[in-house]
This record gives sequence, structure tokens and C-alpha cells, in this order.
Amino acid sequence: MDTEFKPNIVGFLCNWCSYAGADLAGSSKMEIEPSLSVIRVMCSSRINSNLVLSSLLWGADGVLVAGCHPGDCHYERGNYYARRRFALLKKILEVLDLEPDRLQLSWISASEGKRYSEVVNTFAEHISQAGPNSLAHNPKV
Amino acid sequence: MNGQIGVYICECGPNIKDRIDIDKVIEDISSLGDVKTVKRFPLLCSNDGKKFLEEEIKKEDLSHLVVAACSPREHEKTFMDVCEQADFNPYLFQLINIREHCAWMISDKNEATAKAIKYIRAGIRRVALHRPLEKKEIESIPDVLVIGGGVSGLEASLSLAGKDRRVYLVEKTGSLGGMAKKLSQLLPNQGSNLSLIDEKVEQVHNNENILVSTSSTVGDVRGFLGNFEIVIHTDGETSGFRKAQVGAIVVATGFDVFDPEENSQYGYGIDNVFTAQEFEEQIKSGNVLLKSGKPPESVAIIHCVGRKERGYCSKVCCCYSIKFAHYLKDNLSNVNVSELYVDLCLPHKSDQEYFEEAKKKGVHFVRSEEEINVNQKGDQIEVEYHSEGKTDSIVVDMVVLAPAMIPSGDTPELAHLLNIPLDKSGFFKEIHEVLDPISTPIEGIYIAGCATGPKNIPESIVQSQAASGKILSSLIPGEKIVPEVKVSEIREEFCTGCQTCLSVCFYGAIRFDSFKGISVVNEAICRGCGSCVGSCPSGAIRSKHFTYPQLYREILEALR
Repeated sequence: MDTEFKPNIVGFLCNWCSYAGADLAGSSKMEIEPSLSVIRVMCSSRINSNLVLSSLLWGADGVLVAGCHPGDCHYERGNYYARRRFALLKKILEVLDLEPDRLQLSWISASEGKRYSEVVNTFAEHISQAGPNSLAHNPKV
Repeated sequence: MNGQIGVYICECGPNIKDRIDIDKVIEDISSLGDVKTVKRFPLLCSNDGKKFLEEEIKKEDLSHLVVAACSPREHEKTFMDVCEQADFNPYLFQLINIREHCAWMISDKNEATAKAIKYIRAGIRRVALHRPLEKKEIESIPDVLVIGGGVSGLEASLSLAGKDRRVYLVEKTGSLGGMAKKLSQLLPNQGSNLSLIDEKVEQVHNNENILVSTSSTVGDVRGFLGNFEIVIHTDGETSGFRKAQVGAIVVATGFDVFDPEENSQYGYGIDNVFTAQEFEEQIKSGNVLLKSGKPPESVAIIHCVGRKERGYCSKVCCCYSIKFAHYLKDNLSNVNVSELYVDLCLPHKSDQEYFEEAKKKGVHFVRSEEEINVNQKGDQIEVEYHSEGKTDSIVVDMVVLAPAMIPSGDTPELAHLLNIPLDKSGFFKEIHEVLDPISTPIEGIYIAGCATGPKNIPESIVQSQAASGKILSSLIPGEKIVPEVKVSEIREEFCTGCQTCLSVCFYGAIRFDSFKGISVVNEAICRGCGSCVGSCPSGAIRSKHFTYPQLYREILEALR
């Protein structure tokens, strides 16, 4: 079997900026790599290591967390909490040698449809090259 | 669960129908457990579509509803309204975005169809965990606290009191009128007269809906839109405090002026160097005189004092500096007037003409770089400036400095008290400088006038009227307030009392119950961002509608 590796990426997008940016990418008919599945949350600060690590352990080849640009958070500073949390989480992944590059945090505003397409397509390309996530195992749910 | 989920797929005209194989989606989804029915419809957001959906909810006796259509940012509200029409709890519904996120961004029809199936499956798995959420209605108080008795505060008070709202007007100094009362005259080109300010002050004093507290400050503020509890502290003769309840707050605390002593280059402290405010006093007294008692034969008015230190233009100084020049030219014979500016700011329609008239009267306008040095030279003052790469100087009898507007001194304390942010210049930060310039992140608290940055009188008045309009239209006597439903809740049995959530809640919606040793969410204040949920180390906080199990199910479907 010599099938091409198709990654599975989980994308947590905040409702106010990044999700709206994704909508704009769609309504502008930009071609977006389908390997990323979007999960909408109200704010990037809702996402924590539980959700990211669960995704990775359950088979995600990559996890993207996207929120409003610094200073633009709908809830004033949720994205700063997200930033701190992911800086720490990345460090932990690094120390444990668990491929920190599979986790990416990006800022995408509601008007940045083009940026959304670039972030997603670049990340998907990067994950495709990185290959399947070796951590993954799929629990019976 | 026993199979009561209804799934409805919108064709969205050709938008979804042409790009996703809907029959294939239906075939796949129909086989899932818990799914009672899967149907397609040409346009669900149309009147026919909404009627169809309403009848389906009733006819099929659904436990949960999934609609696969466009972005929730577009029609989630539409379909939630349909749910309510059908007597169906709208939080048992999930909208799946197969238009923007599938049909429109994946050109390969097979891939787009597979993606749509994935998202709809996730929606079905998620919605099965949805529980009905109930809207709460809270009584609201229509009265308003206005902080600051300057032009902005007066205007807001009058606008609100005019609609029979009780207004608590709190002013820290002993009298109303604010900075405008210190002026000799308003800008004549704007067609207004200073007596109008006095009239407003009188109207406020005579209005029985307005309770004025001078020499007073706001001591405490707790609560939320419709229900703030405030304490007003009064010093002086009638010292004491007054408690009141208000539904909204207008912050109209105005500005202070830059102290030119901060930078010795402006020469403040040298005889016959005055600030604009001191010069206004002189005009008011009718005698513009030097220390020697003689009228000046030459005056330099220096604009942009403090601009480089503060990093912004104060917008009003050019116009009042031109006002000074007009006054001098009109009242002192043979006086020589020079205006030194870095950039000239004449933003209003009649300003240009006012400027041209001053030039006609012989006022010299000199563009200078920011480095200006004011030094004593005998009985006179030498002003050294740089222009077009050259250093030049003029010697004058009198210098008037036009200092920048800076945040009012008690701004940081008030920001802390009200839990509203400041910008990098230290002024209150509006939600959006362009699109929402009077709102703050805290619902029910508005800012008007120079509290958010330099403004002239007409702009301040417009902002006060806008804030009043927002309050009058959002707090209607007898109408109840419906706070956000998708809020956080803390499960007592899991809370360890670490209080991490208190530190991340921007809205102050969480308090610590020291008796029980746990944190408690005030659902009326919570905005449902989920920061506390993400930060809770014990997983004790549940974000209604974005619970861990709901998100886990979405993740698992994404990875299938």
C-alpha cells in the first residue's frame, strides 16, 4: 500500500476573529487544505493542554489554535492567557521530546481570510512533511 | 439516547447543492444511531424554510436539532428563533457550517462532501450532549451615574434627565462646568458663546431628576448592566456618603494639562512665560500685561508643548492659539504675534478660515521642529527654534505655551474601580477607537469626552449624546435584561478554592465564597469566554455549551 499520507489536523478557532477569518476565506472562495477540521470556541483562552494533548493522543497529526491578534481580543485579554499557556505547553512538549512543532498558535483577525488560508495551508504542508503523529493511539469511544 | 435527532441540510440555492453531494451526505448520516430523520431543503433561512423547520421540530418530536447550512455567525440566531417559535429549547440545536467551511473552500466535490459528513457527524455527536439552557431575566434600574461635571458630564446628565431618568452627577471639584469654565471665550468661529456653558450648569442645578454631588468621588462600584451599586463620597461641608443603585455609568472625567515644567526647554518659570490656561485668565480679567505692568509689544505662542513627550496631538491647541492671536491683534495696538507650531491641526470646517483671518491680521506662523528652547534674554525672552535645517530665534516680551491634554489625574484609580482598561497614553480605552468609541468592555459603562483622549467641545457633546442614546435604548424602565446564557458554572464538589479563575476573569464575574472555600460565578456578569474553564486545574468549571465532553466529541469526529 503506497497511499499518500493525509494528515488529520484539529483547528480550534475563536468565534470572534479566527472563525470569522475562516468564514471570509470561504466566502472569498480561497482553496483551503481539507485536512484541518475546525472546532469553534468562544475564545482561544478556552483551549488548554487537556484539549490539545487529548487531540494529539487521539491521533491528531497537528493542532492549530487561533485567536484574535494581541490587543484585539473580544474578551480583552483571553488571547494573552492562550499565548502564555501555549508557550508553556510547547516547552513541556519540547522537554519530553514530543514534537512541539505539531502545535501551532496563530493570530488571525476577522478580516484576514487570506492569512487564514496561508496559515492553514502552510501548517498542513508542514504536518504532511512531518508524517504521522507517532504518539497517537485511538481509544475506543 | 434513543434516536430523536433531526438533521436538516440546506441547499443554500446552488451554493451548497452544486458543490456537495447532498444525497451522499444523507445516506451516510441516516445510518447513524440517534438520528431520527435527515432531510434537505432548498433554502432554510427563507420564510418557507423557517416554516418547514418549525413544523418538522413539532411533527418529528425531536430531542435535538442539527442544521447543516452556513456559518453560525450568519444564521445561528435565525434558527434559534425558529426553535423558540416551535417551543423547542434553542440550545438543543447546533448549526454546522458546510457552506463557508466546506462548499466554498474545498473545490473537489468528493473532498468537500467528505468534509461536510465529518462536520455533520461531529455536530450530531456533540448535540446529543446538549442540555436545555434557560434564559434568565433580571430587573434593571434605569437610573444612571455620571462621573464628571464638565461639558461632557453636563450634556449626558441633561440628555438622560430629559427622558425622566434619575441621574447621580458626581464632580470632584467644588463646582460644575469643568475645564470649559476656565476659558475666556469659546472659539468664536464655532458660533458658540461661553454663556451656554453657564446655562447648562444652571439647567443641571434646576433639574430635579439630577442629583448633583460636588466635592465628591465615587467610592465603590459593584454589579453589572442594569444593577450597579454605587457609593458616592462627599468631602467638605456636607461630608458623608450616599449609596445608590444605577443601571448604567457614564465616565466623563475629562482631562488635565501637561505640566511644561517637566521639560526645561519650554522655559516655564521664566518671567512672562505663561501657559494657555494662565493666559485665558488674563484675557478674562481684561488685562494682558507683563510682570512690569506694561502691555506686551511682542508675543510668541508655542504650540505642541508636550506633544513629543506624550506622543500624540491634542487637536484643540492650534485653534485656541489662533484665538489668542486674534485677541491680541484686536485688543493691543501694534503687537507683534508669532505662532510656532510643529504641525498645524485645523480639523473643523470653519477652522481654516479662522486661520486665514489671523494671517491677514499679520500674525506670523512659523513651522518649527519639535526642539524649541525658551530662555531669558535681559528683560525679554528668546525663543530658539529649528526650521528647514536652520536654527533661528525670535526675541519677544511674552511667551504663551499651549500644553498637551493629558489624562485626568484620578484616571488609573477609576479604571481600577470600574474594571475598565486604559490605553498606552493613559486615557480610558474605548472598545474601538473608530467603530465603537464610547463603549467599554464592561456592559453598561460608557465613556464620553476627553476621558478617552483629546477632543474639542462639540466632539465631547456628541459623545455624551451618543452615550445617553445607548443607555436610553438599552435600559428601558420596566424591561428586563437577559444576560448571556452560555456562561461558566463552577461545580462545588470539584472546586479546590485555588482562585486561579478569579485572576483570569476580566469581568470580575467570579468571587470567592470564603465560608465554603470555593469560587462562585455570577452568571449575570459572566460573558462566557471560557478563560476560567481553560485555567481551572481541577476541571471544576463547566462552560455551558462548550463543555469538555462536547469538545471531545468534536475532536474524536475530526480524527475519525
